[in-house]
Amino acid sequence: MSSVKVDGFQSSAIIEALETAFKGYSEKEKKEQINKTKGIFELHIKNEKGDEAVWTIDLKKAGTVYTGAAKPKADVTINMSDETFMQLAEGKLNGQKAFMTGKLKTKGNMMLATKLDAVLKSVKSQAKM
Amino acid sequence: MSLSGLISGADCALPNNPLHQVLKHTEGDRSIQRDRIAGPSSSRLQHLPTTSTSHVSEGNVSMARQFFDGGSPSPAAQMRMPPTDFLRRYESSRGAGLQDAWLKSDMQNQQTVPMGMRDAAWAAEFGAGMSSQQKAQPAIEGPFENMSRPNQYAPMQSFYQPSMSMGMYGMGMSNNLNTMQPMQSIGKGKGKMRDEDFEAAFAQYALPEAQTAKIEEVKDDVTGLEKELSETKLDDKEPLLNDDFEKVWDSLQNGDMPPPAEDMAKWEAEFNQLMQSQRDEFDYESTMREAWEGGLGSYDGMSDTRPDEFALKFNEEGIPLLDPYTFEVDNKYTKLPPDQSALALAKKLLEANGPLTEAALLLEAAVQRGDLGEGGYEAWVLLGETRSMDEREDAAMRALAEGVRLAEAAGSSAGLLSLAISYTNESYEKGSHTMLLRWIRARFPEFSPPPEVASENPWASHDRVKDALLAIARHQHQSGVVDPEVQQALGVLFYTNGEFEHAKDCFEAALGVKPNDYLLWNRLGSSLSNGNKPEEALGAYREALAMRPTYTRAIYNVGVACLNIGAHKEAAEHFLSALSLQDSGDGEKSEQLWFTLRRALVAMGRQDLAEKAQAGGKVEVFRAEGFDFN
Repeated sequence: MSSVKVDGFQSSAIIEALETAFKGYSEKEKKEQINKTKGIFELHIKNEKGDEAVWTIDLKKAGTVYTGAAKPKADVTINMSDETFMQLAEGKLNGQKAFMTGKLKTKGNMMLATKLDAVLKSVKSQAKM
Repeated sequence: MSLSGLISGADCALPNNPLHQVLKHTEGDRSIQRDRIAGPSSSRLQHLPTTSTSHVSEGNVSMARQFFDGGSPSPAAQMRMPPTDFLRRYESSRGAGLQDAWLKSDMQNQQTVPMGMRDAAWAAEFGAGMSSQQKAQPAIEGPFENMSRPNQYAPMQSFYQPSMSMGMYGMGMSNNLNTMQPMQSIGKGKGKMRDEDFEAAFAQYALPEAQTAKIEEVKDDVTGLEKELSETKLDDKEPLLNDDFEKVWDSLQNGDMPPPAEDMAKWEAEFNQLMQSQRDEFDYESTMREAWEGGLGSYDGMSDTRPDEFALKFNEEGIPLLDPYTFEVDNKYTKLPPDQSALALAKKLLEANGPLTEAALLLEAAVQRGDLGEGGYEAWVLLGETRSMDEREDAAMRALAEGVRLAEAAGSSAGLLSLAISYTNESYEKGSHTMLLRWIRARFPEFSPPPEVASENPWASHDRVKDALLAIARHQHQSGVVDPEVQQALGVLFYTNGEFEHAKDCFEAALGVKPNDYLLWNRLGSSLSNGNKPEEALGAYREALAMRPTYTRAIYNVGVACLNIGAHKEAAEHFLSALSLQDSGDGEKSEQLWFTLRRALVAMGRQDLAEKAQAGGKVEVFRAEGFDFN
């Protein structure tokens, strides 16, 4: 199965879908996606049991997703609960609200945190206005 | 307050019997509730934008009502409560000094004509507070009175509290009286954080009140007036008190009548900013620490902070720095005879639902031949909008950027909204907000927000646009106007923030005025689709495509909705239809379309076909595989 799977986390499914999406990009598309984002996100997700899973989304150099801390160093580290992550991914919560209500905490380049919405959205095709 | 008034009131037969005050009090309360909780009266409902469309449900209407009226009760409601009661009372007691006022209060109360049963809730309450203070003196007979007196001041203080705390935001006393209600409701949960500050601020203001209380208590202990007058201690304090009241009186007299709605919006913005700046401070520390640690950790040479050469760059306003528009190399329309206007032909073609790719080629020719149309920007803007409709966002953004530059030089807002929409589609939210701000500046300069304050908050641009647009929308709502462009701008703003429910409401409101705008139908559809309602979105796309069958973007969106519903084969067919529509031109087809088609094919488990779905591929290959498309 997928290498990024972590049992006991709903978020795992989203991360797996993200990995699949990244694999589906052509080289050019991957480059475009990287150029749009230019950042390495290190996600610390806590589930209800209090376990923590760490994933890294590299949209700076390689365009990959992997488990564990960022190598090289993350541009932004984001802490949130499994539930918050799911709400973000499903568009039920936006980054601003999550941040303002303290559900999402960042360390590092905050501006990049605003792009997490867009990265998670790229899992699903978006309609256009 | 009214209750203690009842107890202490020896003159219950008089016109301003405390019971009478209670009546006024409850009346006033009801009026406030009507505005705050129950929403607008039925007559105002008719002005609501959404009621004019046939497409909205009951729920939408109530949502729109909440949206438009939730923020603040209409100023009309505030207008209804001038503090006349207080003024009259104070006027009659002023100058004579408080001691005289106490003496006269009996007589004076008899003279006071019962004031009209208007819902001057706060004013009445304020007046009641004043008068119960005054009445305290004649009511000293019962020993019970002395015991109950101290309690009287507790409600007084709690009444003062909101108005004093609002004073922190730089408003005059008179304004406080009229606006404390909306300000409080706007503050909501956030306001609680400031409670301590409020209390502190209040404590300062409350001091003079406490003095009043003391003086009265002293007075209650004496029975004779002569004795009272001989108390020099009291006399010393009188002028002080008078000064204080005079100040309040002056500000009441000089203060303006209820503030206009735009001021409200400004305060709201100021308040939000204040709240945010607090947040920023909070995060600033960790940001700095991270930066420091980041610097220390960079010895290994692994972390690379230099921007990539090929990275898409943005200016400080979040606008992507794109290359200039690239024209089609071999465009047959550039060879049109000079007496034919390519621009006019393009417009005709667009009106006749002609192929978008052809129209775009005509417009390119128009631009190249210097046939720029109105204000020198018309052709550029139209080219951008046509490219956007044809699902070629990159070309659209480049053309619109040029069109907008020319339009703004000519003092027009043309193209700004379209460009904001293009940026939104590409997730350049900050750029989109910048465009919306520039649009506001061009269309409604009077509502243009002040220049940006340097802020660490990455979402500050969103809030600035939101405040300005809501102010415009409220202003228009009051005069019963629904401006589809304003609604659209609001819709785009909500869309950038992922608030698709609100975005949907805005586009519906705009459609109520312009039901034949297929662009709006598509935008409504995309709001529904991205808001996890792909089934409902299909209905909106159907409307758009009924009016405009060659609307490539709407076809693409139908495909996306199908994909998200799980109808992968249908999705692929729609993408193929869109691609074949683009085929009418010689130019490159949209990479976005190929990419999404590939996704649909992968979802179908047809990896073999997905490999053929690459930019530059042939759609006919897929027809042979059993896909049915136009």
